[in-house]
Formats: sequence, structure tokens, C-alpha cells
Amino acid sequence: MTTPSIYRDLLLAHARHPKNSGRLECPDLRASAFNPLCGDELELTLALSEGTIQDCKTQVRGCSICQASASMMTELILAKTLQEAGKISQVFTESLSKDTEEIAESLDSLRPLIALKKHRSRIKCMKLAWDALEDCARQNET
Amino acid sequence: MQNSLLTAKVREDFPILKRKIHGHPLAYLDNAATTQKPNCVIDAIVTFYEKHNSNVSRGVYTLAEEATEIYEDGRESIAKFIGAADSGKIIFSSGTTESINLVASAWAQPKLETGDRIIVTEMEHHSNLVPWQLVAQTSRAELVYWPFNPENEKSGTARLDLQKLDEMLKDSAKLKRKTRLLAVTAVSNVLGTVNPIAEIVKIAHAHGVPVLVDAAQAVARMPIDVSGWDCDFLAFSGHKMYGPTGIGVLYAKNERLEEMQPFQGGGGMIRQVERQTSTWADAPQKFEAGTPPVAEVSGLAAAVEYLSNVGMQEIQQHELELTTHALKRFAEFKDLELYGPPETNSRSGVLSFNLRNVHPHDIAQVLDESGIAVRAGHHCTQVLHKRLGIAASVRMSVGIYNQISEIDRLFSALDQARDIFLA
Repeated sequence: MTTPSIYRDLLLAHARHPKNSGRLECPDLRASAFNPLCGDELELTLALSEGTIQDCKTQVRGCSICQASASMMTELILAKTLQEAGKISQVFTESLSKDTEEIAESLDSLRPLIALKKHRSRIKCMKLAWDALEDCARQNET
Repeated sequence: MQNSLLTAKVREDFPILKRKIHGHPLAYLDNAATTQKPNCVIDAIVTFYEKHNSNVSRGVYTLAEEATEIYEDGRESIAKFIGAADSGKIIFSSGTTESINLVASAWAQPKLETGDRIIVTEMEHHSNLVPWQLVAQTSRAELVYWPFNPENEKSGTARLDLQKLDEMLKDSAKLKRKTRLLAVTAVSNVLGTVNPIAEIVKIAHAHGVPVLVDAAQAVARMPIDVSGWDCDFLAFSGHKMYGPTGIGVLYAKNERLEEMQPFQGGGGMIRQVERQTSTWADAPQKFEAGTPPVAEVSGLAAAVEYLSNVGMQEIQQHELELTTHALKRFAEFKDLELYGPPETNSRSGVLSFNLRNVHPHDIAQVLDESGIAVRAGHHCTQVLHKRLGIAASVRMSVGIYNQISEIDRLFSALDQARDIFLA
């Protein structure tokens, strides 16, 4: 039986065995995101050291795409500054809305995810973790 | 008419069913969200714009008279379709949501006082919950929930317990709390439960409580008889009964119509306008400010005629056959959790479920790859989903054109979801 094109192996691997899953006990920053369309929820906890993300975890109640996106995001932002992570999030968001197929080098590992952007109904699923990340970045600014 | 004969004939009338999705014939099983449109409905809308388009009740020229006739004839056919004594009780709105908001603003709001109660059930769609929350908050009234039975309850899984309603109404009376309204759905858009509206109305009326019925799901699934049910209000949408979007209906009894204040102000709903004040047109025009959706009414009237020709009893029977088959299939799989009554009695073809350890969105996506359209999410019933202890579910909902083979295709595609996500 063929696997539908939308579920590439890498995404499924992340969805089945998500990286950095759970909650940090004493996070420096914490943000939740909610998808009102389907009721999915996600919590992101971050530990910072001089502005750099030392550790991060996501607690996800969501679909495989939401889960995979959260897992890939945590891998990508670890050891980066929160500012850099915020910038990646911005570029990621832009890559979802743009018609162009061009994908920034910094987002190379997210290619399978970005390939799903033609399924417009799933963009919110992909974005949930990143919404929480942007929330954390805003909290840090204030 | 036998199921297969009815479907074969009916399917010819729906052009969209010829579409292929990802190379597969479309199996449209999301009829609780919206139904597809037969040619006669599409033609009625096209004909209106091609031949009769003009505003209603505002001109004496030929086109204006034709448009007015189409609009008022539509009101007549709706009245007949739901068993209303006359068309003066039929108000056109944009849909079920607006119909319910109309009752909340124009009828309930002026009556509600601090401490009053509105009873709703846990199985209501947000459109029959949030309007009541809004007016209750403004008036410091209270929303009280009439719960449905848990699984394996003696009086039926996912059923409303009539005795419980009687007790709730007695309790309110004891506490000297006035219950202003009971708002209840005729058919749950998630559980598929068909509620015994006539009996519910009887109990509520015995306590002097008016009843609003959300018939959004019921109207295309069973014969509706507002006179027999004796409900005070009934709301439904055109697009869930094979008609167009943007049109809905509110039926209201005369006594209630007389109590209703204007909803929106504007043209068409007035008698006389002075500089500071105005007087109102009689119902139903009093509640139809602005240019009404005439083309949509002509489409809705065509849908009503279509449903009447097929026969609501036949449609109900057809749906029962599909539901019986689906319930049998569900029982085959231990990893499928079905919500709602497990028996066909007083149950419609709205079937919500979860496949253990697979998210509803992922299931819906895999089904789409096989050309099967179902809904995944909370279906605008977050209170109901929380009560069930779940965030979301997959919903298959059958319609007039569905076939047993399409239900079987869904179960085959579920195997594919198992392969992908649970391998």
C-alpha cells in the first residue's frame, strides 16, 4: 500500500518519536498555543542562558503534522539565541505564505514540512509550535 | 423505494458527484457540514438572475412583481414543508446561526432578568450555545445544562433523560428562578442522537417554558412538523438541506412573534419613519431588514420541492439503511471508538468516532487521498467534546446520495491510516 504523499518518512519519524517532547520543570519562558479549528493544544517551555536556548520541550496534543513541526522546530532552535530563533520563525512563516518554491538555507531541515503548504487547511497545524515560539520571543522583549 | 434505486436516481441530479478527487470518485460524507446541490437548485438560482432579478416589494414593474412572487412563494413552500399553519410565521435569515441570534436579541434579551435561567443541552452546536451565553452575560442570567446520558445508561447512551428535564424545571421553580427558554437540537451534529422533540416540548410547556428547536441537522433527515411538535421557535439553514448558502429560516409561533422586538433596523421592516422614531411592519417583514436574499430563496424553494418529491420518509429510510450498515461495520473494529447511540433507533446518519492513537486530522487527510470527504475537529461542539473527554473526532455524515459502497470505502481507507500511523 502506498503512503500518501503528504506523509513523508521524515515527518512520520518526527511524529512517532518526537524530539524534545514534554515540559521543562523550571523554564525561563513558557507559551501555549491553541488551534480553535480543531482544539489542538501545545505548550512550549524554554531554558535560556545569556539569551541562548539551552533546552526546550514541547507538550503537544495535536495531529502528526503539528507534532512533527514541533519536534523539528526544537531541533532547529536548540543552541540558538532566542532572537535567532525568532528570525527563523519569521522566515518559516514567510516560506509558507510565499508562492515561490525557494527555501532559505537556514530552513533546509524543514523542507518536508514546507512541502505541505499546498494543503492550506494544515498550515495552522504546522504553525502552532512556531506561534508559541514567537510568543516566547515577545515575552523576552518586554 | 429501495436504497440502491433511490440513490442511483438521485445521484444523477448532483453534478459535483462526477468529480474525481486524487483519481478516486468523490465519496462525500460531510453532509452534516453542508450538503451538495442538485441541478434544480443550481438552475433556480441561475434562472432568477437571468430572468427575474430585481428587488422585492419595492417596485410595480413586471420584474419586481416576479421577484416578489418568487420570494413569497418560497415562504409558502417552506411553511408547508415544516407543517406551519401559515407563511406569516416564516422569517428568512442568513442561516441557523442568525435565526438563533435573532431570537436571542429580539425575544430573549428584553425578557431576561438577573437570575433567570436558560436551559441548553450539552450536545448543542456553538450556534445554539454562544448566543445564549451572550444574552445571559448581559442580563446576568444563567445557562443551565441538561446533560445527556453517559455510555451504557439504562435509558440509552447519549440520550437526553426526560425525567431529568422535569426535575430541573421543578428545581428552578422551587428556587424561584424563572426558566425563560429551553434551547435544544432536534438532531445532534456529532452524536447523531435524534431527540424526542414533541415529548420535550410537552414537558417544558407543562412548566410554562417556551422551546427553541435547532433543526439544522434534522431538516434534511426527517419530516418536520412544527404544529405537531408545538415548539415555539425552530431554526434551520438552506445549505444543509441541499439548498444554497446564505439563507436560513426562523419559524416562530404567533404568540412569540408578538413578543419579539425588532432585530435589525433598515428598509423593509418599517411601517412609518419619523425624524426621531419609527413604527414597525408586521411579522415576518418586521424581522427582515434590508434587501432579502431572493435568489437564495428561489434556490431553497427548489430544494424543498426536490426533497418533497423524493419524500422525507424515503430519505429517512435511506439514511437508516446506511446507518445500520455503518454501525455494523463500526462494531467490527475494537480500535474504533464511536460516540453516540450504538443502536439505529432514533439515530441519524451522523457518526463521529476516533481511531485509537491516530489524530482525527490525520485520518481525514488519509481519507481525502482516497477521495473520501469527512470532517475532523470539534465540529463546533467544544462543550460536547469536553464532556466526552476528547479534543476532536472524525465525523462521517451521510446524505441522500450516499451508497453503502462509499461507507465500505471509508473503512478500507481506515486500514490505510492504521498502516501509516500505527505500523
